Amino acid sequence: MADFTLDEDQQQIQDTMRKFANKQLRTVARQCDENYELPREVLDRAWELGFCPNAIPEKYGGYEMGRSVLNTAIMVEELAYGDASLAMGALCPALMMMPILEFGTEEQKAEWLPKFCGERFYPATAAVMEPRINFDVFKLRTTVERSGDTLILNGEKCMVPMAGQANEILVYATNAKGGGPQSVEAIIVDRDTPGMRIGERTKYMGLNSLPLFPVVLDECVVPLSRRLGGERGISFSRVINLGRALLSAMAVGLSRASYEYALQYAREREAFGEPIASRQAIAFMLAESAMEIDGMRLLAWRAAWRLERNEDATRDATLAKMYCSEQTMKIVDYGVQILGGHGYIREHPAEMWFRNGRAFAALEGLAIG
Amino acid sequence: MKILVPLKRVCDPDNANKVKVSGDGKAVTSEGLEWKPNPFDEYAVEAALRLNENAAKNEKLGEIVVCSIGVADVAQTIRQALAMGADRGILVTADDGALESTVVARALKALVEKEKPDLVLMGKQTVDGDSNAVGQMLAEMLGWPMATFVASISTSDGGKSLNVKREVDMGVVTLKVTTPAVVTVDLRIVSPEAVKNGATPDSHKYNEGPRYASLKGIMQAKKKKIDQLELPALGSDATPATTYPRFELPPARSGSCTFVESVDALVDKLKNQAKAF
Repeated sequence: MADFTLDEDQQQIQDTMRKFANKQLRTVARQCDENYELPREVLDRAWELGFCPNAIPEKYGGYEMGRSVLNTAIMVEELAYGDASLAMGALCPALMMMPILEFGTEEQKAEWLPKFCGERFYPATAAVMEPRINFDVFKLRTTVERSGDTLILNGEKCMVPMAGQANEILVYATNAKGGGPQSVEAIIVDRDTPGMRIGERTKYMGLNSLPLFPVVLDECVVPLSRRLGGERGISFSRVINLGRALLSAMAVGLSRASYEYALQYAREREAFGEPIASRQAIAFMLAESAMEIDGMRLLAWRAAWRLERNEDATRDATLAKMYCSEQTMKIVDYGVQILGGHGYIREHPAEMWFRNGRAFAALEGLAIG
Repeated sequence: MKILVPLKRVCDPDNANKVKVSGDGKAVTSEGLEWKPNPFDEYAVEAALRLNENAAKNEKLGEIVVCSIGVADVAQTIRQALAMGADRGILVTADDGALESTVVARALKALVEKEKPDLVLMGKQTVDGDSNAVGQMLAEMLGWPMATFVASISTSDGGKSLNVKREVDMGVVTLKVTTPAVVTVDLRIVSPEAVKNGATPDSHKYNEGPRYASLKGIMQAKKKKIDQLELPALGSDATPATTYPRFELPPARSGSCTFVESVDALVDKLKNQAKAF
């Protein structure tokens, strides 16, 4: 009924991503965090791994080898294990590419997908979240109105990753104010479109290498052809569920990074004549982290598996996201606590993971998938 | 150029401390440890890829055949090299436990005679047995020129001859080797400018280290051919030249450390206490 063995492809994907994460992300994570930078060479090197063209059919320039949400979950866990912030930057173009692949009309796929098959990082993103206290991802207030052959967008978005660099932004907006997910459309907006204004980079707690921006849409007019999926539209619930499942997998990766570091530290650090790992106060925190990480992964994988079968994954994805976000906060907190004073200073990554890990419970609807 | 790269899988070298001696002392066991490609062999694969491509134009210039000897699972190690970009694989099935340098070198000789490569490019040693013997034995058996511990390779005549730099204790030895030859590589062969093949512009800087298998590579590797042979079918002598009667772990170190005041005190302790001389 159930099988938790990774097949050989998945093992190789995991192995490649793990090596990449350790050598290319982990090594520069601290520097990028301190300097608020997302280096182009890191993005280009991550791009070379090919996660965009891998999902795209050959006729659009990719080398589709079977898109798999589960494989993506395995991949993003490893990337986030290296560094969640850089990983989110590297995966950012998928925020636009994946919905086009899933919901785009034939013309839209032919127009846009080849852009994601080039040799260098193609900056693109999506705008979901909105800056208001009672924000509900299924009740967007950014509106899209049809007027003849054009669409008019109005509203405010926030926390849009890499909006400052992106060539296009996929804007999610409702065609009936306050309407549920069925009313949501996704509109491809060029960066220079009049009426779209990208604000100053937002200042926040962690994920420092990932720039997030507010985006204001004020009578922003785009051609009707930019409505993703044409008359058929999109399934916004699926977009959100993909985002939730994959963010959950990333939370697993980040938690694992924090836990493994704390474990190693606790085995080496001696107090009162023995490693602190053999003291129950520490050992229980480590054991709890290990249990939760495995539990989190199972929830994330189940959600990914459900999505892969094209079934409604709302329940699975929401449970996973909720649980993973909460447990991540606990695990990165333990990560700091186990290191004691060392956990609080910037010479160890524990405090960075603490700040980054806090994001999962705050970020919603970042649909990477 | 046709290059043959022999590969070996080894226990995860990052967990070498978990290797144990079996209860009867007859074998070293590696239960529970993951298998990884021998790092020096991965470097050899990378060097072979660099020798056989025009990196600026993304073109391939020759064929790279990877081979390994071992149980059926070793195919996975071969596929990892195919995912990096090698063209074809050969798996010689045999019991890993009964393999030692002479048997491997004889089997490789038989493979070389069958495949007729221009170059055998391999790791200088494996990180499990650390014998550092197969490359040398193979060159001797084939009667081919050999260069070991190679840290850089350049060619300007399409591989007919190779200028190699070998790192040795006293410095760097530069050699010109005519092919066919056996070359064993060291860590620095994967530094950004270690391989120049005359086709990739000399100004091209590679990324440090062996390349990652991209997702495309991983998927393409599934379509690449891996020929399977059995060791006896190669016709090489599979009788080991060495036997290991018994294994035991070195005694645990006491781990004590004393600081001394002066060089004289150190010499005195070494002479009179440790009886070092």
